[in-house]
Amino acid sequence: MKPTGLLFFPAFDWAISPTHPEREERLLYTRDQIFEEGIMDLPQIREYQPRLASASDIARIHFCVPSIERLATEAHLVSAGGALVIGDAFMKGEIKNGFAIIRPPGHHAMTVAHGNRGFCNINNEAIMIEYLRRKYGLHRIAIVDTDVHHGDGTQEIFYHDPDVLFISFHQDGRTLYPGSGFVEELGWPPAWGTTINIPLAPYTTDEGILYAVDSLILPLLEEFQPELVINSAGQDNHYSDPLANMNFSAGGYAELNRRIAPHIAVLEGGYSVETALPYINLALIMAMAGIDSSNLREPDYERRAFRESPDNMERLKRIATLQLENFRRREEMQADLKKKHGDFFSTYRRIYYDTDNISENQEIRLRLCDRCCSYRVIDSAAAHAMGESYRVLCFSISLYSCPDCQQEAREAYRHSLERFLGHYDFIYLQDRAADEYLCFDCSGFEERGIGGRMPGEGED
Amino acid sequence: MLLGIDVGGTSTDGVLICDGCLEKSVKKQHRGDLTESILKVLDELLEGREAVKVQRLVISTTLVTNLLATRNGARTALILIPGRGLPFSFYRIAPDTYFLKGSIDFRGNITEETPQEDILAAIEDIKTKGIRHIAVAAKFSHRNRSLEQEVARAIRERCPEAMVTLGSETADRLNFPRRAATAYYSAMTAPQWNEFASCVEEAVRQRGLAAPVEILKADGGTMPLEVSRQRPLETAYSGPAASTMGAVALSPRRENAVMIDIGGTTSDIALLIEGEPLHASRGACIDGCFTHINALALRSMALGGDSALQAREGRLEISAKRLGPAACFGGPAPTVTDAFNCYHSLALGDAARSQAALAGLAASLHMAPQELAAAVVEQVLSRLQALIEGMFREWENEPAYKVWEIVHRRKFKLERLIGIGGAAEMIVPQLAKRMGVPFTVHRLSPVANALGAAVARPTLSLHLYADTQQKRFVIDQEGIEGTIPNPATFQLADAEALALEQLARLAEEKGAGCYAKESRVELAEQFNMIRGWSRVGKIFQVRVQIAPGLIKEFKGVGA
Repeated sequence: MKPTGLLFFPAFDWAISPTHPEREERLLYTRDQIFEEGIMDLPQIREYQPRLASASDIARIHFCVPSIERLATEAHLVSAGGALVIGDAFMKGEIKNGFAIIRPPGHHAMTVAHGNRGFCNINNEAIMIEYLRRKYGLHRIAIVDTDVHHGDGTQEIFYHDPDVLFISFHQDGRTLYPGSGFVEELGWPPAWGTTINIPLAPYTTDEGILYAVDSLILPLLEEFQPELVINSAGQDNHYSDPLANMNFSAGGYAELNRRIAPHIAVLEGGYSVETALPYINLALIMAMAGIDSSNLREPDYERRAFRESPDNMERLKRIATLQLENFRRREEMQADLKKKHGDFFSTYRRIYYDTDNISENQEIRLRLCDRCCSYRVIDSAAAHAMGESYRVLCFSISLYSCPDCQQEAREAYRHSLERFLGHYDFIYLQDRAADEYLCFDCSGFEERGIGGRMPGEGED
Repeated sequence: MLLGIDVGGTSTDGVLICDGCLEKSVKKQHRGDLTESILKVLDELLEGREAVKVQRLVISTTLVTNLLATRNGARTALILIPGRGLPFSFYRIAPDTYFLKGSIDFRGNITEETPQEDILAAIEDIKTKGIRHIAVAAKFSHRNRSLEQEVARAIRERCPEAMVTLGSETADRLNFPRRAATAYYSAMTAPQWNEFASCVEEAVRQRGLAAPVEILKADGGTMPLEVSRQRPLETAYSGPAASTMGAVALSPRRENAVMIDIGGTTSDIALLIEGEPLHASRGACIDGCFTHINALALRSMALGGDSALQAREGRLEISAKRLGPAACFGGPAPTVTDAFNCYHSLALGDAARSQAALAGLAASLHMAPQELAAAVVEQVLSRLQALIEGMFREWENEPAYKVWEIVHRRKFKLERLIGIGGAAEMIVPQLAKRMGVPFTVHRLSPVANALGAAVARPTLSLHLYADTQQKRFVIDQEGIEGTIPNPATFQLADAEALALEQLARLAEEKGAGCYAKESRVELAEQFNMIRGWSRVGKIFQVRVQIAPGLIKEFKGVGA
């Protein structure tokens, strides 16, 4: 039996600010617990060490404004690199599954990144997914976001991509940051129905969440048949989390992971650093390694005696029925919507960056193609807190786009350099098909490549 | 006069050093029991000399290693208090294991008490079975030893004849299974070790030695014989430590070096980082269980001067077996030594016999004899080089948990090979040439192990855990704990000073006071504890140690 890969990177020398929830202390007690248990000595476990993600790994997902260097510190590069190491280990068949316990987290970071949103600068899972698709030719991937906050960044990054099924359960957006993740958020026309949100009422317990897993998440995974299942593993549904209001337990997390059986889990949020994280992280490791976790309970769990309310169970039942229906009619809806919108679909969005106090306006244009996932054009303007402001134009070509769409997108990028320079600070080309990432600095009148291309198999 | 005695696999070696000169060395094949061999070597070293002039005697022995290998220790019961976490079925350390309720968390809070009646029931059962040795280990007991102590108290009351070993007394760091194994194997080997210690004490007294007797530990340092009674397990695996400290003594530059000990059928490799031996990150492994015993990082390969050469399915194979000495020394078959002898014209023994033996094998492989010799030399050197470089990579990729450490990954830059062991003289110069570094094969390398024992200095380390919210600190040694008088202003520098002060005090008690000044901080961590949005305290972890090195009295032995 292959071992479970474990990459533990607590970034003991990094914090957003000294008293911020995302601080050095966050994984201290987790370290104490998993090392005291001797987890790394078990034959079921193989420990991995992170590396630094490269500029092209990041540019494959993000348009970092003004630059990757400004957005992603060394801590972010190591954290994202940790996810890549676990991804590689899994794809090379060294491990049966893997868990990257890394920080800083990433699931609120969107395609265009002007700063930190919800403690996230760059999106670790998305960077890993696009890297694995590029390197190993994967197509269909499912992400189950189990953080208490809606994984709005990951949702947005794949909102146009029908090959990535994004499922998120979270505390209802009317009661918690980031205020999104409602059932009607189902994806843009070409990917309608491959985003499935499960907003949960505050104080939902193990019973409620596991019901959602059984009645909705497992059928979705079964029908979608992904080549890779990823758990975007937040730990803040826990009853002791200071930033949310749920009643999930460490045992619930273990059971959840046993049932979903993700190939890769990547740590996201979770800020009950002393009373939840040590137990949840251990529970997750044990579940992934196939170790019985019935002897693992928080010291105060028995006293809590949580009970799920019948009303909430009824509500969950309705959500499951609705979302299964939506998912099952996705292909039909995608075809209808594409017909309705013609060659392009466009929409506007406003995005707020809570940590860095930035507000951004975006116009998104999706090229609709019958043969492929084509390309996106994003026009983004953001006012930063200290008066700085940027406007950028971003072209993103999908990895599996058809040659016609690729050519059209490259021409559109070149065309914009001739006509719209005066409007923008930067114009970017993210050409995933060619694995080439360009940034045109409109004031310096200079185009430069970002990072090198990925080495071929066997070269690294 | 400094005396060093090292018990090896086949012989016991001893050296006597006087005024920087090796005055005498003794080698005795084992006959009878270990203690007898040691005393014979001691007597031979002392022959014609005044015992009172001996300043220090260090013994490195395989007694505990052998007890563990042959599972001949005393029958020992293991009482575990694992609390919540892994299933109890994961703790397969001892046949007579008792699980008790009770739980301590990572900050040393007791979250569940151990019921008194459960403790008594376990003790009754142990008594009925006639077991007299008991090890007790609780999860996180190094942060709070009260649960273990409660069990110890009950054992003293109900079963005063039993010997008790506590996990919190034998091991400092995180890792409960290793702590449990360390306590168990310590308890199991203690009775025979104590017998040995008493025997040595008596023998030394009879011979009129007034000098302190020290025992070499697996970490390359020494401890007083008296202290070893509490920590017998640390004497296991001291053999490689003796050889490595010998290499340090024979090439006492502060370099990044590789100690390579090439014997008859095995090669051992250890790394010296700026002249200090590297310790294994996981601790010694006994019977498949990792322990908290701090041992040197060591890689071994079944390859030595007497490794036999043979044809296997039409291909050359360097066998892991020894058929006898090299052909040039009258052995029955060609060996690695014969190949080096021919290829590098070393004129060892009867070189013509090397030639003849190789020619015979070469014919069956359809090769020219010189071609065969070249192939053997190439294979030996490339296998050793791969072993060495694999060890560098492992060191470079040791787990790191800080951004700075990942961004600035360390790199091992080799500066020297230090060869010891019978076949080193023949192989190490070639290997050094291949790797592009200078080498040392000292004329005293055949007695490097005993020399290493003679001149190794004491080592001592301690781990401090301080929590200013709880206003208390614990030190892993000898049950030291206390309150922090000034929690609001207590800083990392204070934690380090406290740890160093405690280390100096312990060093003084253990006869290592003169090295206390050289102790240094190995690990210093501090974490702000934030609850809500304000700081409620700090957690500090500091490890300080007197690292392995050479005693002040030793000034080198010349080239």
